[in-house]
Amino acid sequence: MIQTPQDLASYHVQIQRALNNPFLRAALGNFASAYKISRQKAFAGMDLDRKRTELALAKDEALKHLPELFERFKQQAQAKGTHVHLAYTAADACRIVSEIARDHGIRHIIKSKSMTAEEIHLNDRLEADGFQVTETDLGEWIIQLRHEGPSHMVMPAIHLSRQQVGTLFSEVTGQKLDLEDIGRMVKVARKELREAFLTAGMGISGANVAIAETGTIGMLTNEGNGRLTTTLPGVHVAVVGLEKLVPDIDTALRIVEILPKNATGQLITSYVTWITGQTDCSANPDGKKIHHVVFLDNGRQRLAKDPVFSQALRCIRCGACANVCPVYSKVGGHTLGHVYIGAIGLILTYFYHGTDNTRAIVRNCLNCQACKSVCPVNIDLPYLIKQVYRRVLDDDRERPLKNRLVSTLMKNRTLFHSALRAAAAAQKPLVDTSRGVIRHLPYALLKPEHDFRAIPALAETPFRKLWPSLRYRLKHPIRRVALFAGCAVDFVSPEQALALVKLAISFNVQIDFPQGQTCCGLPAAMMAEEETAIDVALQNIDALDAEHVDDVLTLCASCASHLKEGYPRMLRGKVSPERVDALHRKIIDFSSFMVDVLRVDADAFEKNGKRTAYHAPCHLCRGLGVTEAPRKLIDLSANIYVPCPEEDVCCGFGGSYSIEFPEISAAILNQKLNHVQQAGVDVLVTDCPGCVMQLRGGMLKRDRPVPVRHIAELVAERLKRSKKSS
Amino acid sequence: MCSDDRIALLMERAKLVQAEVSRIPGLDAAFDYVIERMRERNYTTLAAPNVDPTDALHLADRCRSAGIEWIASPLRNRLRDIQAAFSMADGAIAETGTLIQVSDDEDVRIATMLSELHIACITSTQIYPDVFSIADRLRDRLATGPGYLSWITGPSRTADIERVLAIGVHGPLELHILILEEARS
Repeated sequence: MIQTPQDLASYHVQIQRALNNPFLRAALGNFASAYKISRQKAFAGMDLDRKRTELALAKDEALKHLPELFERFKQQAQAKGTHVHLAYTAADACRIVSEIARDHGIRHIIKSKSMTAEEIHLNDRLEADGFQVTETDLGEWIIQLRHEGPSHMVMPAIHLSRQQVGTLFSEVTGQKLDLEDIGRMVKVARKELREAFLTAGMGISGANVAIAETGTIGMLTNEGNGRLTTTLPGVHVAVVGLEKLVPDIDTALRIVEILPKNATGQLITSYVTWITGQTDCSANPDGKKIHHVVFLDNGRQRLAKDPVFSQALRCIRCGACANVCPVYSKVGGHTLGHVYIGAIGLILTYFYHGTDNTRAIVRNCLNCQACKSVCPVNIDLPYLIKQVYRRVLDDDRERPLKNRLVSTLMKNRTLFHSALRAAAAAQKPLVDTSRGVIRHLPYALLKPEHDFRAIPALAETPFRKLWPSLRYRLKHPIRRVALFAGCAVDFVSPEQALALVKLAISFNVQIDFPQGQTCCGLPAAMMAEEETAIDVALQNIDALDAEHVDDVLTLCASCASHLKEGYPRMLRGKVSPERVDALHRKIIDFSSFMVDVLRVDADAFEKNGKRTAYHAPCHLCRGLGVTEAPRKLIDLSANIYVPCPEEDVCCGFGGSYSIEFPEISAAILNQKLNHVQQAGVDVLVTDCPGCVMQLRGGMLKRDRPVPVRHIAELVAERLKRSKKSS
Repeated sequence: MCSDDRIALLMERAKLVQAEVSRIPGLDAAFDYVIERMRERNYTTLAAPNVDPTDALHLADRCRSAGIEWIASPLRNRLRDIQAAFSMADGAIAETGTLIQVSDDEDVRIATMLSELHIACITSTQIYPDVFSIADRLRDRLATGPGYLSWITGPSRTADIERVLAIGVHGPLELHILILEEARS
């Protein structure tokens, strides 16, 4: 039985258990790196972005017409001898399948892999009704024997070691097995399950697509159990989610083309099976298969009409959103989902398995955008996860204290900023001024598990108070730029903005710092406080006045990505589209500004810089799609860029995420810092003050910490003296 | 893509998924191939449900003299006994190294799934560049009535235990593709 924690306290217990499992960490870690390479290889030479967009459009079109597609499928399939059912609820679907089995006097049922059957807990119902059910997909069989749910949509038993599987098989078969010999274990499964294939009276399968124009179901499998399940028994029942309906062969082929590549890096699965109608089957007196297709609604038709969430139904169950999720790679699927796991699992659990099962897990998202970047149908997974979180809070009529606090403070800029100033004064006795961090943890606020990183001190004087004395006026600037500082630079790391100002003056760029700006609002959006997020967005739109500058420059990738992509979505209809569009076009990150706009020259910098590692902030490399400029800038500024593994994996910060899930944040951070320390570099740079806080805080807890800087600081310190004075 | 390129791509891609691929001058040579591979593996039973009746007689003769039992249809009576299968496939997809096997006949499915060694024959004129190039053909077939169509790429496989690739789970342990240089007589 699947038991998903329904509150945060018990969720943390489960998380700690997962983090304490060294096999799980190693297996998922290896998988995460291997997957990226094989996926890239599988898509080599393909215009993947175009394919994704086309498939997403085709799925959206299909989702608009589910009732018509169902009718067409039904008419086609029935004409060819198939019985077609529509189950409105999970219970209906289970009852229909159970009645088919009963009506045909079945005792033993075999199944090939079906997530839809998992969704409705079909096995539990069939077993309760007295049927013997055998899963035949190797991974599904293993977890069935262990009475567990799948921990991955494609590889259900990825959380288990060969020793665990070998021990299990020894118990089940009564023969002693070599616990290292996976090939032998597979042979044992072949022999055991072959017997089930030959004796079962009914086979249950899922389907990857259901083609309306011909009444065909399509299945993609590797082991061959799908083909056997649908061939040997006299009765075949396919359990299919309604969203699997596609109008035609062409859409089905698009899915066949992309799904295996995105799921496992295979060009195609070993078997692709197309079944239309009632096929030959000599097990029955009339020589014909008894064939049923049970479509499952379970909320899908309502979901298809939802303006925000309908895109979740585009999902083709490739599992890629789990494969690249840094949280998944630390805790595994049983701790990041209910039946459906990974990013899409956090969303679908709410709709298929309710608020209670969603409450805790839905918070476990870093918003690092990795899932979104590999989704083959362009589902905006991180955004939908936040929207589900909002719904859970509404269902529970709950607003956590931190939400209320953040909302009240943020909406009122003056109050927010004076609170930060008050905090800066209050922290004074606690600050270690030589390192700019808090010496002791204020235990009233934070728990021991938060001690994985040093907490940065608030700056004595925020950038906004420094600015009046820095303000300058150039006669003939080449660009006029509005600086959006963001809270982290403004109140914690004003030295990053000072570095920028120094560079701007050298390169003849006029900076203005509009004082009316406030927090970009991303923290509020992350806490699903949309109203507050909109409120501060409107303040910033006014303050930045993007229509009257050449660029809106920011040192913070998260702010930049939120201003660029988040604002247009939140502010639709609330402010003139021209104003939002001007900001959308003009917002730019520091590295792109230096490399692409100013086209800075290597001559401007002193030679012999530092061996430099780079951390790619999520909101820069995925949010804004900026990947080359920062690495180029490191080399341009006469430093030496030293590549490290997994540079584009999140640092584990995620704003309030690292407060809510410090144990996971620490695990993700430690892996990153290990890579950097092993690279033997002088300095680690990145282009986001949030990442700087996380990375530096973690480094300061280590032996021989590598200094962590914002890339602007690294570049500014290499500026030639002659250039500096010009 | 010309015919030779397609053959080359098919051979490359099929080998990547652990299929054996050979070019072969005619059916006689294909039968030799079957008998030889079976002898090497000590297999003694063969099912070949979709070979043309006259060719089948010929193959059955060859089996008899090689001491191999010919398993005749209906195969459902002999589900536990099929060691090797020989089938005529209906084409191939070069880009993915895939066989197209019309499997309406239940015996084709039984032979090609329950055997440990599956040897399939295609003609060199039936090799298509990619899945989209057969969309219309596929539409026609699926539209015309009850049917079971399989695309087969390499032997059956799993990576469900520690992601370690294991070949031969529920289906054949080996897949051999023979490309006939001349059209079938």
